[in-house]
Amino acid sequence: MASVHESLYFNPMMTNGVVHANIFGIKDWVTPYKIAVLTLLYEMSTTKPMALLERRRLNKLILPLQQGADLTLEQFVKIVEECSLRMVNAVKLRIFLMADGELQDMEHFFTILPNAFSDSEAFKTSVVGLFMRQMLLAYNKLSFSQVYKLYKSLQQYCHLGNQLELSALPSEDMELTSNEDPSADRIDKDELDTTSLHQSELRSDETQGPLSQKQAEYFLARQAYLLKNDENKAMSPAKLQDELNNILKFNPDFAEAHYLSYLNSMRVQDIFISTHSLLHYFDRLFISGGEGKSNGDEGYGRSLRYAVLNLATLHCRFGHYQQADLALQEAIRIAQEANDHVCLQHCLSWLYTLEQMKGSDSVVLTEDSVKIAAHFCLPYLASLGIQSLVQQGAKQGMPANKLLDALRGTDIMHWKQSLSELIEISLAQTTSIWRMYGKSTMARQQAQLLLNMNSLEPVNFSVQQNNTEAFAVTLCHLSELHAEQGLYAVVADIMKHLKQQFPPHTQHAKLWMLCDLKIQFEKAMNDGKYHLAEPHVTAISALNSTEGLYRKAQLLKALNQTSEASKILQQLQQQCEKSKNTEMIIRVMLASAELHWDSSGFASGLPLLLQALALSRQHNLQSLTSETVLHLAFTQLMLGIPEQALALVQDVLESVLAHGSLIDKGRALLLAARCQMTLAGTAAQKHRLTALEQAVHTLEEAAVYFSRLDCKERMRDIHYLQARLHHTLGNVSQRNKYAMLFRLLDQELPSSGMTVVNRL
Amino acid sequence: MAATRSSELGDLVQIKKQLISIIAQCKERGLVHSVKWASELAFSLETLPLNEIPPPPELTEEDAQDLDAFCLAKSYFDLKEYDRAAYFLRGCRSQKAYFLYMYSRYLSGEKKKDDETVDSLGPLEKGQVRNEALRELRVELSKKHSAGELDGFALYLYGVVLRKLDLLKEAVEIFVAATHALPLHWGSWLELCNLITNIEMLKSLSLPDCWVRDFFTAHMYTELQMIKEALQKYHSLMEAGFAKSTYIISQIAVAYHNIRDIDQALYLFNELREQDPFRIENMDTFSNLLYVRSMKPELSYLAHNLVEIDKYRVETCCVIGNYYSLRSQHEKAALYFQRALKLNPRCLGAWTLMGHEYMEMKNTSAAIQAYRHAIEVNKRDYRAWYGLGQTYEILKMPFYSLYYYRKAHQLRANDSRMLVALGECYEKLSQQVEAKKCYWRAYSVGDVERMALLKLAKLHEQLNESDDAAQCYIIYIKDIFSCGEQLEHAEVSNALRYLGQYYFKNRLYDEASLCAQRCCDYNDAREEGKALLRQISAVREQGEPSSTDLSLPCVFNPLSNNTTPVRRVSPLDLSSITP
Repeated sequence: MASVHESLYFNPMMTNGVVHANIFGIKDWVTPYKIAVLTLLYEMSTTKPMALLERRRLNKLILPLQQGADLTLEQFVKIVEECSLRMVNAVKLRIFLMADGELQDMEHFFTILPNAFSDSEAFKTSVVGLFMRQMLLAYNKLSFSQVYKLYKSLQQYCHLGNQLELSALPSEDMELTSNEDPSADRIDKDELDTTSLHQSELRSDETQGPLSQKQAEYFLARQAYLLKNDENKAMSPAKLQDELNNILKFNPDFAEAHYLSYLNSMRVQDIFISTHSLLHYFDRLFISGGEGKSNGDEGYGRSLRYAVLNLATLHCRFGHYQQADLALQEAIRIAQEANDHVCLQHCLSWLYTLEQMKGSDSVVLTEDSVKIAAHFCLPYLASLGIQSLVQQGAKQGMPANKLLDALRGTDIMHWKQSLSELIEISLAQTTSIWRMYGKSTMARQQAQLLLNMNSLEPVNFSVQQNNTEAFAVTLCHLSELHAEQGLYAVVADIMKHLKQQFPPHTQHAKLWMLCDLKIQFEKAMNDGKYHLAEPHVTAISALNSTEGLYRKAQLLKALNQTSEASKILQQLQQQCEKSKNTEMIIRVMLASAELHWDSSGFASGLPLLLQALALSRQHNLQSLTSETVLHLAFTQLMLGIPEQALALVQDVLESVLAHGSLIDKGRALLLAARCQMTLAGTAAQKHRLTALEQAVHTLEEAAVYFSRLDCKERMRDIHYLQARLHHTLGNVSQRNKYAMLFRLLDQELPSSGMTVVNRL
Repeated sequence: MAATRSSELGDLVQIKKQLISIIAQCKERGLVHSVKWASELAFSLETLPLNEIPPPPELTEEDAQDLDAFCLAKSYFDLKEYDRAAYFLRGCRSQKAYFLYMYSRYLSGEKKKDDETVDSLGPLEKGQVRNEALRELRVELSKKHSAGELDGFALYLYGVVLRKLDLLKEAVEIFVAATHALPLHWGSWLELCNLITNIEMLKSLSLPDCWVRDFFTAHMYTELQMIKEALQKYHSLMEAGFAKSTYIISQIAVAYHNIRDIDQALYLFNELREQDPFRIENMDTFSNLLYVRSMKPELSYLAHNLVEIDKYRVETCCVIGNYYSLRSQHEKAALYFQRALKLNPRCLGAWTLMGHEYMEMKNTSAAIQAYRHAIEVNKRDYRAWYGLGQTYEILKMPFYSLYYYRKAHQLRANDSRMLVALGECYEKLSQQVEAKKCYWRAYSVGDVERMALLKLAKLHEQLNESDDAAQCYIIYIKDIFSCGEQLEHAEVSNALRYLGQYYFKNRLYDEASLCAQRCCDYNDAREEGKALLRQISAVREQGEPSSTDLSLPCVFNPLSNNTTPVRRVSPLDLSSITP
């Protein structure tokens, strides 16, 4: 199930789930690279007739050029060349003229620069217009010596670019030279760049050069966005940290970089650096908050509260519940003192999340939270609360219609406010709920709905699909659903995608790991390859101890180590009753009943089964209900009341065939056939034949399902029964055929010691 | 090794000769700080008779050739015209001229860098202004180095260049080589000192066996907060004949300051001022001590004196800041600390002190900023971490401040103040178990403020662990009485009162009455003491026997006999320092 809070990076700048970029004033300066960009813009606006395609390409180029890190002239020229050959020549001509001429030429360029824009389509307030005016302003602010230096570095910039162009060095060599280690052949170049304004012009490796504040802000915004939505496209943790350290080295007051460093170290689960960065961020934020915000002292106090709250979330994410609790209490206390209802509301929503994570009941808290959030018009928190309530309600067996109604109600609001994150969660949650109820078709439909949805983010850095938890959960469900239908090739494809999208070190990787292991385990069990299943049990236990125990019991049961299995099942039942994990309780009961069968204690299994039936009905767990009914039917068959058994099987057969997995379908049909066989034995002579034929028919159907799964043990059982039936019917050729098939399989498989009789 | 070196040390005349020659060498090369250090040391030794004074070093053929250019360049160098000096030295081939040539290029770069900083455009740019000469210098020096043509001074310069380029590992190697080549040059040692971060690193380096090494290790120990070892080293150096050296005296005083032995430190500083009345270095530390002791007139005198000597020195500004702070004029104090920072932005103490001032002014955000800056300059500044913790505690965020206190505690594991602060935070968070641990540890490492036991006792009292509480009070009272100082009356009487009641409840009437009598010494507990005495006598009249349960802690033997119990803390440790 999607736990709703996990995917949220909480941020005080966030309101209703939207992070507002923190844009300061003009924090940019003129560099030779900027002059090159300006020349390009100038040429673009002065050359009127231009091919539409070229113009479009160039227009698309402007924004990345403006926002990105400084490039070398060679790189710049190459990029422009790809768009328009004519333009690149014009730009080169102009910039080399400037560089080879005198300082006056550069000054002249800056004087004529505004003219080009006065009558063109670039408005003053457009991106290009703003950029141009910022550059002009920055240029005009330069002192005499700075202008001179700028010119010198422009000369170098062009000279270096020119020289490299002439010698036609590949770009790798460029990078080499920009590294810190000077090799012997480096000296010549070193002498060239002795008097430069900034290092950035000399470095071609974009991750090395210092960025201007503006560039740094773009960089941070982009990386933060990618971290939130598509981690794989973001820089690798180590590289990003290097980059951040670089930014921080040049400007330690750049608080946002600390926050990104916090997010980044969260990726690699580094508590030490993440705590450090988080606290550092807030220490710095107070400073800028104190002077920048209009509400002065209020802003300062506010960030204090959110600082503690963030610390609480940090501990929460690392599973330090006691620490998180203490921090949260502190946040609540100071928020109460300051009468900050919004912050309190955030605290409350974290409080119930924490309670939930600790495994205690938090329904009352959540309900309160929703009510208050609605009162203070905080739709984001309110629907988060509702989603959390739905999750808990589903686990506790609330009526399905109520839950789905609640989800639909919030969905309408999400779409109105375009809270894309919540829409995703909601869809994932619906998938999970349908899956839990055993309605695989509905689950599949919801999953596809989410996966086919277009991203709703306002700014889209070419991110097609987000790698949020919602997607991980949905994809996992989808893979399990496919595995149930025996489509293992599809499963492998989905897993491959998951692995790619959520690499093993990331936050949500555990989801697919567990899912993958479960599928493999099931497959091995179905194939009767118990030795293959064994290592999976250990791996599953590492990810989820309860699930691991259950699987271990199953394996032991299959290996006929009944006493150990029953011990584990008892232990498991106690555990689950404590944690109120209903699904698991029912499964454990079924497994225990099966153990009773092994010792032929069919009657003693009955109370367990009845209990399981009651529980599963109460919680609307349809697939488990049918499973339980099948168990009951089998018991009845064994106890000698096949009429009743058949009636029960027929009751649930419909839903099993509609929603069940292949193996369930096969098992149900096999059971039905066996009931029919037993009934035929007692029926009057004239009905006997038709009854037997019916049984043959049912068996054939079951055989189709099992063969699709390639489940040889079951096939062997079926062939045995088929041979018997045909023998009774007198179809000798058919009988011989099935008998041979049986013999082939029996030789292939090790005799499991399990007779056909006592197994569902 | 120690033996060989002490014999070397014994030969003071030899040392003096070495010093005189190194002074001359450094002077020729414009290394003023090393000249100063060596001269100070030489001054503290006996003067040599005329025939003992070492002759100036022989001039080589190359030296003679370069002599004129060198003299010219040196004069330009002294006038801070570095480029000009470098220009005239460019063709010279002697070692001396080569060093001066490279050194003036380096200094020219540094000077330009400083000028550039004023011209920079935005905050992001500030860190980017670099000494552009460094890379060139590095290339040239590394060439020469691999050819083995560098002498001790040039190696030193190479190391400095590497350090400035943040190539710390290589820099350490080069500095070690420099000390081997020229052990007497203090500059290399000092640079090495800045690069060594822990004691393991220090031990792993192979350093030349020379008497200067003793000075270096002592300095290093002080830097690494291993004060006891440092003091030992310095004392042995003084015994060896450097007793008059102002350098050593100031170092010892600073060391005493670091372990909060205020009286000793004050004494030494006063002596230092007598010997060297116009000294400005280390006077900020002196003012810290005066501040802690609230010695207003002395501090005021010091401040006025220093202003007369040189008012634009960082130390002077810090002293004045302290002076205003002591007079509770915190705005002015902050102003002077700011001025100190303008003079030297990397002045660590000033950032922390400014943080303290802002705290006094209740300007928490500014305080946080100041402390953060201090941490940036030196991550190991425990006072800044502690200050941050305090700030957040004032903002009523005990959980938040835990992190900062922990940091401070990591840096000074044996400082009780951090432990007590940690304990208080835990107590506020109702984490009594952790709080108890902290207090007990604080007491065990030698509690300076004497609060840990008391707080521990109160905590036990709250938790109704009366035996433990009584035990703590007993130790507390023992400590207080053994020191013979009557501090914190309220707390002592409080402890006695509790103990009286405790003994009374446990029917140890003799002890109870003793406590009650002691209570009567204090105004605020007198009434209760008398009441308790009356109760005791009433019970005794009823003939109820005194319990003979010996399992209860019985303390008052030492107290009544007035024998001295174990002294855990020396009286000097009593005062707290909040520098």
